[in-house]
Amino acid sequence: MNSIIIDGMSFTLPLFIMAIGGIYSERSGITNLALEGLQGMGAFIGALAAYIAVNCFGMPQGSAYYLAFLFAIIGGAVYAMLHALLCIRFKANQVISGVVINLLATSLTVFLTKSINKAAFGAASNKIDLGVSARYTVPGISNIPVLGAFFTDVYPFELIIVAAAFLAWFVMYRTPYGLHLRACGDNPHAADAAGLDVARIRFTAVMVSGALSGIAGMSFAYSIFAKFSGDLYVGYGFLSIAALIFGSWTILPTLGACMIFGFARSAGYQLVQMAGLPSAYSDLIMILPYVLTLILLMFFSKNNQSPRALGEVYDKARR
Amino acid sequence: MSDTEYIVEMKHVTKRFPNIVANDDVSIQVRKGEIYALLGENGAGKSTLMSMLFGMYQPDEGEIWVRGKKENIVSPSYATELNIGMVHQHFKLVSNYTIAENIILGMEPVRKVLGCIPVVDIKKANREISALSEKYGLQVVPTDVISDIGVSVQQRVEILKMLYREAEILIFDEPTAVLTPQEIGSLLEIIRTLRDGGKTIILITHKLEEIKQVADRCAILRRGRLIGVYDVAATSTKKMANLMVGREVSFDTEKPPAHFGKVVLQVENLTVRNEDRFEKVKNVSFCIHAGEIFAIAGVAGNGQVELADAVAGLVRPSSGRILLGGRDITEETVRGRAEAGLAYIPEDRQNCGLILDFNLKNNEALRKYYRAPFAVRSILQPPEFDSYAEKLIDKYDIRSSQGGDTVVRSMSGGNQQKAIVAREIEQDALLTIFVQPTRGLDIGAIENIRKQIVSERNKGKAIMLISLELDEIMDLADTIAVIYNGEIGKTAPAGELTTNEVGEYMMGVKHHEEA
Repeated sequence: MNSIIIDGMSFTLPLFIMAIGGIYSERSGITNLALEGLQGMGAFIGALAAYIAVNCFGMPQGSAYYLAFLFAIIGGAVYAMLHALLCIRFKANQVISGVVINLLATSLTVFLTKSINKAAFGAASNKIDLGVSARYTVPGISNIPVLGAFFTDVYPFELIIVAAAFLAWFVMYRTPYGLHLRACGDNPHAADAAGLDVARIRFTAVMVSGALSGIAGMSFAYSIFAKFSGDLYVGYGFLSIAALIFGSWTILPTLGACMIFGFARSAGYQLVQMAGLPSAYSDLIMILPYVLTLILLMFFSKNNQSPRALGEVYDKARR
Repeated sequence: MSDTEYIVEMKHVTKRFPNIVANDDVSIQVRKGEIYALLGENGAGKSTLMSMLFGMYQPDEGEIWVRGKKENIVSPSYATELNIGMVHQHFKLVSNYTIAENIILGMEPVRKVLGCIPVVDIKKANREISALSEKYGLQVVPTDVISDIGVSVQQRVEILKMLYREAEILIFDEPTAVLTPQEIGSLLEIIRTLRDGGKTIILITHKLEEIKQVADRCAILRRGRLIGVYDVAATSTKKMANLMVGREVSFDTEKPPAHFGKVVLQVENLTVRNEDRFEKVKNVSFCIHAGEIFAIAGVAGNGQVELADAVAGLVRPSSGRILLGGRDITEETVRGRAEAGLAYIPEDRQNCGLILDFNLKNNEALRKYYRAPFAVRSILQPPEFDSYAEKLIDKYDIRSSQGGDTVVRSMSGGNQQKAIVAREIEQDALLTIFVQPTRGLDIGAIENIRKQIVSERNKGKAIMLISLELDEIMDLADTIAVIYNGEIGKTAPAGELTTNEVGEYMMGVKHHEEA
């Protein structure tokens, strides 16, 4: 039971922070299918920064860990500017832009990983090894049955994510910027008439989605994968899009959706282990979140409310 | 007269759009504290002129002076800084926000948390808005969500938005187009109160009665040019109408006596339910003859739209029969009905009558595109579309900037309606259904459409006319049927009923049993 919660949360939280990124972008009116690519690019930049810091400057692993997250945030945000530029400045189709950005991220990061490894370290490896991050247990609270599991074997990034998620919620629902952002996604004409700069608000919202996706990608790289490589692109970005849709583009229900995915996955693993099934079955368990997505889609699609101006190119002249 | 007496002056303003001069050398001067009306037909350039004052467009030539100072109004936010506010014809509101959130958007009252983090102070906003709405007599509940409130309240929110931004010059773009008669009355009262409170009001409209009721002075625009500025009290409605349209306008439609032919439409015991299984039309029977204008009068929401939709085939009746020219069309598709001789001018022109993002020529061919000569062996013939559109534009005087290639969305409401009427009349159908054919149109267009209706009837077509405007019904109908609560109460030749009697049946005061 405990390990279901421990593993579940370490998968849920990165998914959740990435979904919040998606919510930022989509509530401002920009469809963002690029989360997958954004998290990968963020993880690549972060991993590269940590690797260089450790191997060239002799930085200790512990500090490199935080440096990696910092660079993942920056990398994700900068890469997201490409999506923002295409969708806002050049009024490109947002779905196509998102897809292209995913494809570009996959091929570009894998190519760069190989080239850099070859040029700098002489070995044509297709991965940047990071190792799994250390885990911490909060003394005292962790002894409480069931609930204590949430405080046992916690990755440091889980803390970063919880803090970032709270901040993101606060900004979205309590600050003027959040009010402006949500207005742009419902009726950009109203926002414009109120003297707001719709393009700028949307641009920053897309960058936030990149930054938060960067955190997610880095978290996956430091936990499930223990490295950066092309394996990182397994569709978790799309899973988080599904989560935010089930959550009706609101933050708290989206957490619920992410938890369903996370616990389905970890419970499945436990089941395979307890039954002593061959490891091929644990690969089967990997598909559980996706099957769940299909099932949930059937039931929850009818009554969820997407932002009204989502995906619409904002053109001042059109009424 | 010193310059500063005028709060707004627009001097020799010209604005060109591709293929059209929207404003041609227009000069107006607005005094502080007056209600200044801009009168003109749809597409005369009133909205464009005011959009320039509000900073949405910049003039190609000419100058704008505000409070005696030349200004280059580059954006709506700069206009707001100059204390200019505008209520647009299409409201600009965030549908999932509360009234208060909409009003404060862009200038939120902010409170600092921990001395540095800015947080929207929604409680303060609610208080301020309650106070503001009380001050100007604009009742709203600040915490209501926009999507839950009616149009007239939404309009009040738009007005409060301007007042919250301390606007002194208030521009209203066709504010009454979306309102019911009672709501229009209270809006005009609000406008008067605002003027008495020292605000300057610019009112864009094509409705003469409103100008007569509230405006002090009135500038008349026609096809982008300023015709003149008139003192409203000293100018008759008739004169204003003629100046606006540019010719003599007759309010009464000439109508020779009717010659009824054989029965064209026969509706028997028709019942229509809405989505909630509620009976909107209850066991209705009537028939319409060739050469007859059969008008259905009624207060909005009494089932007339559902009745028309059922006859046109847009909704399926739950029981009853519809016969057109003796043939049962109850189970026919919409296309089948059109081919059987039914033409339909729907109430909702933009959603139901036109494909707004298609150009005019494709819209005109919507009923015919799949047949020769528009399609030969399932291949469309573009030249046919062009020549057909040209023919209709000519015959029905449809004004558009690029002829048949004009995107319909960019056309004025009156010309959109003309386009639908042209398409439907050209079907040469046995029966034509008109639902609210003149709603929201200016008098020139209204006159035009009414003439078309009468001339169709004179050609021996059957006409079913549904209108909320009693004047229109009294003017045009040969037979009047009154619908109340889904039932047709009274049916009588037009000559036998007075306006008052029809009104009483409409309100359900009189019932058919008594008559």
